[in-house]
Amino acid sequence: MSEKKAKIALYWCASCGGCEEAILDLAEKILELVEKADIVFWPVALDFKKEDLEKLPDGSIDVSFINGAIRLSEHEEMVKLLRRKSKLIVSFGSCSHLGGIPGLANLWNKKEIFKCVYEEKTVENPEGVVPLERARVDEGVLELPSFWNSVKALDQVIDVDYYIPGCAPPPNVVEKAIEVLFSGELPRKGTVLAGNRALCYECPLNETKPEEISIEEIKRFHELELDPERCYLDQGVICMGPVTRGGCDALCIKGGMPCTGCFGPLDDVKDYGGRGIAFLSSIIRGEKEEEIESVLEKIPDPMIFYLYSLPKSLIWRRAMREWKGDDVE
Amino acid sequence: MKIPGPRIGVYVCHCGLNIAGVINVKEVVEYAKKLPNVVVSRDYVFMCSAPGQNLIKEDIEKEKLDRVVVAACSPSMHEPTFRAALEDGGLNPYLLEMVNIREHSSWVHSKEKEAATEKAKDLIRMAVMRASLLEPLEKIKTPVENKVLVIGGGISGLRAALDLAERGFFVHLVERSPVLGGKTPRISLVRGGKSGREILAPILEKISSSEKIRLHLNSEVKSVDGSIGSFKVKVLKRPRFVNERCNLCGKCEEVCPIEVENEFEFGLNKRKAIFLPYKGSYPEIYAIDQEVCTKCGECVKVCEPGAINLEEAEEEFNLEVGAIIVAAGHDYYEPPKGEYSYGLSSKVITTLQLERLLSDDGPTGGELIVDGERPESVAFIHCVGSLGTTPSSKEYCSRMCCYASLKNALRIKKKYPKTKVFVLHKDIRTYGLDEDIYWDSLEEFVRFLRFEDPPLVRVKDGKLEIEVFEVNLQERLLIPVDLVVLSVGMVSPRGLDELSSILKISCGPEAFLKEAHLKLRPVESLSDGIFLAGSVTGPKDVIESIISGSAAASKAAGVVSKEEVEVEPIVAEVNEDLCSGCGICVSLCPYGAISIKEKEGKRLAEVDPMKCKGCGSCAASCPSGAMQQKHFKDRQIMAEIVSLREVMV
Amino acid sequence: MSFEPKILVFACNWCSYNAMDLAGTSRIQYPPNVRVIRVMCSSRVSPEMVLLALSNGADGVLITGCHPGDCHYVSGNYATLRRFKLLKKLLKELGLEKRVELEWFSASEGEKFAKYITEFVERIRRLGPLELSEE
Repeated sequence: MSEKKAKIALYWCASCGGCEEAILDLAEKILELVEKADIVFWPVALDFKKEDLEKLPDGSIDVSFINGAIRLSEHEEMVKLLRRKSKLIVSFGSCSHLGGIPGLANLWNKKEIFKCVYEEKTVENPEGVVPLERARVDEGVLELPSFWNSVKALDQVIDVDYYIPGCAPPPNVVEKAIEVLFSGELPRKGTVLAGNRALCYECPLNETKPEEISIEEIKRFHELELDPERCYLDQGVICMGPVTRGGCDALCIKGGMPCTGCFGPLDDVKDYGGRGIAFLSSIIRGEKEEEIESVLEKIPDPMIFYLYSLPKSLIWRRAMREWKGDDVE
Repeated sequence: MKIPGPRIGVYVCHCGLNIAGVINVKEVVEYAKKLPNVVVSRDYVFMCSAPGQNLIKEDIEKEKLDRVVVAACSPSMHEPTFRAALEDGGLNPYLLEMVNIREHSSWVHSKEKEAATEKAKDLIRMAVMRASLLEPLEKIKTPVENKVLVIGGGISGLRAALDLAERGFFVHLVERSPVLGGKTPRISLVRGGKSGREILAPILEKISSSEKIRLHLNSEVKSVDGSIGSFKVKVLKRPRFVNERCNLCGKCEEVCPIEVENEFEFGLNKRKAIFLPYKGSYPEIYAIDQEVCTKCGECVKVCEPGAINLEEAEEEFNLEVGAIIVAAGHDYYEPPKGEYSYGLSSKVITTLQLERLLSDDGPTGGELIVDGERPESVAFIHCVGSLGTTPSSKEYCSRMCCYASLKNALRIKKKYPKTKVFVLHKDIRTYGLDEDIYWDSLEEFVRFLRFEDPPLVRVKDGKLEIEVFEVNLQERLLIPVDLVVLSVGMVSPRGLDELSSILKISCGPEAFLKEAHLKLRPVESLSDGIFLAGSVTGPKDVIESIISGSAAASKAAGVVSKEEVEVEPIVAEVNEDLCSGCGICVSLCPYGAISIKEKEGKRLAEVDPMKCKGCGSCAASCPSGAMQQKHFKDRQIMAEIVSLREVMV
Repeated sequence: MSFEPKILVFACNWCSYNAMDLAGTSRIQYPPNVRVIRVMCSSRVSPEMVLLALSNGADGVLITGCHPGDCHYVSGNYATLRRFKLLKKLLKELGLEKRVELEWFSASEGEKFAKYITEFVERIRRLGPLELSEE
């Protein structure tokens, strides 16, 4: 008697493709996955169409892994469809979990983005051609999905059961997550399938920190010979380790790079960037305004605190000037 | 653990017409009834009155309340009142939340009654949401060690130690030099008429015979742990190499090959590596200066009583005390070489050196002889190192130097009436009852010359000449003199930086130790249980230092006379399941209450609740939310923030 | 156009809360748009709290504390200043820089508080309600 195989689906929204690569990074383990499950929908790798998905009975997919941020109406449509068809939805990767790097586009709106891409930065567009949602051509009507003003994370559009964080999720995290999902003992809904403490806990350089850590000057990492055996924060380089969820085995640190925060915040934290600002400004020195300002000047762009998580933060986009007030912000 | 409930009682005070005259109290009471978890909502004329408090106590029992919100005046007025009422009613006093609708609403929006009422509703709503999340807290109690540590064996430390011993408390007195007395024995004429030694003698006698005072000479405090009521102090005792068998014969001194500057005489003469600190010192035994001794052993050979042991080792020991008094004293401004030609001519000296020259027990037996000659003219220059007179000067006034120099000017005049004495000054600050000394000096024909720009002292062919722009005459004067005496100010003592970081108390901008508040909390440091006495907090003369020593003793006695000390429980605490050991919190704490410990091979933060004063800075910076402040937890404060908008009921 | 902004003020127990009380006992009037949250020290206020306020109905946020050098907890207000500076840098990117300020008040500066808050309310009123435009 053969065991019925689980059905899984994988889909990508506004994505770079790295999360798809992450599946491939499982290397031989992917064969184990294929043994356990039937992939019923994976547009990037297998030739499935939307109609194939629509034909499946509701709730018949056991787990759907969705990566990429939600930017277009098509993304919204597809993920809502997948939600209907799946028992569990797993948010795969930073873009889907937190909005990811595409989330930084929330500093602008559709009008500004289109202007930049199609009018200013494009090579040659003398006729000012911009994408339309509907266009009548000889052959009929062409439709393009609509482009939203703001990027959203997956759980801002559909109900999500679990999250696998990372940009892209490292193989060990993906392996463990798949184990858990197929174990039959599911954790509490909404769990992020990674570590429960900040990265410093598992970082090999944590013990090289002095008891009182304090930065005199912030350094960009091209400004110094980074000592790979000493905590990067202690050397003045901005590392997001303290505020970022761990579980990745500190791969970036071990590779000579400070953490940029792709696993996102811990459970108790409401705003990743807020906590990031709090911890960094707490360890710089300076009591006079000018001193403090000159140290902070070395931070290239405060958005490094929201590199992956802007759409999920408390102030999830730049406030646009809609109000006809007297003053300009 | 889910608490069944909570059951909140809301009480809105009229405060007579103070609140009710502006705010529609009935409307507010009705509104509060609809808020989540509110089971009782009442108003009363004066909530702080006995019947008002009884309303709360009765409801706690009848309605089984477990949280209370009182909307009334400012908590700084009546929070203790209502906390006590809760306790009386059987509820933990920290389950109270007060809402300020008087000072913050009715009194400041008296013409906008509707808006004031809406504001009251908003504030009460925020308080109710916070109250639901409040937790019971117990004050932290700790037993008190009834001993006191006095750091510094100068006049203020000695006075403090004696006062405490006379009250029956045990005192450990730690002094880094080999003898007691500090700077006082070097002063031959103190304000009030006696010499420093005469003032010290009775105090030293009582101290030497007191069973309650244990002396640790040649010793320094190396580390201090713990907090008020229970400080753990590590002391390092350096070897003196000479013991009580010493009979003061002085033969060792004669054969010792090492000679250094004699700091007791402010560098006027030299002493040997083995030396007697001063005649009549306590203890009156020779000592060896460990830093310059070469251990050649010549002294051992000639010591008949066998009092010298060059093998004596350093000792480290621990003390446990309930309070600490820091009486570390001061140093004097040392003019840099060339300032007023100091260091370029032996005829330019400081008032301290002059003090020693005029002392009977000084290097010249009290005769004013400098470099073999008796000067026929002496010029005092005031404010040396003070009032920003020169680039290396301090900005503050050292208050006692005017008196010191005029006192010596008079002594010179009395002993050598023919000597011309000039006093070049900015202001004359012989304050209080010492104004007389100024008039006495005038009567003795001391010549006062006033300057604003510092005078120039030139050395021409070995002779001194002063150039000064006299402000009253508005003329530039050239004055040849035989001796220039620089009236130097007081500065903070060598090594104070290290001591202040060991004790975790801060120095002020002028490098002296900072008192908690000059008027409200004098002689207290910002760390509970650590008191400051004498010139370590700023320039003082001998009399003022004695007074301040007694004041510190009095406060220290207040601490160690209790069995227990109670500390507010609004402290920080670490969730060890969440802490990543990132260490961000440690450097933020002004009290050093947070440390990193190791648990199962990993770093974790730990808070000492006795040292934590409850500012919450660590909690605000914690990147993972592991550090929280009791009674001001993130979720408690955020519940207030989130309810700025109306809540769904 | 009449828009009543809601301003959240964080006040420290030792100085600024007492300054607000003093404005009260002196009966100095100021606009009723202010809602206060009391903390022991301004350094308890985290940037996250400010962001939470802005996203929950506050059109403006004022952090208050003791003057530099006078902090009851020695150095708390310096920590507040450092966090505030970096927060302002961030708020500028989000277009909200003018809605958050930090100001020091000693316990005796009741009148100064009333004056400051009156101007602050006006300033926020002119900026209009905080709206993060939806889709």
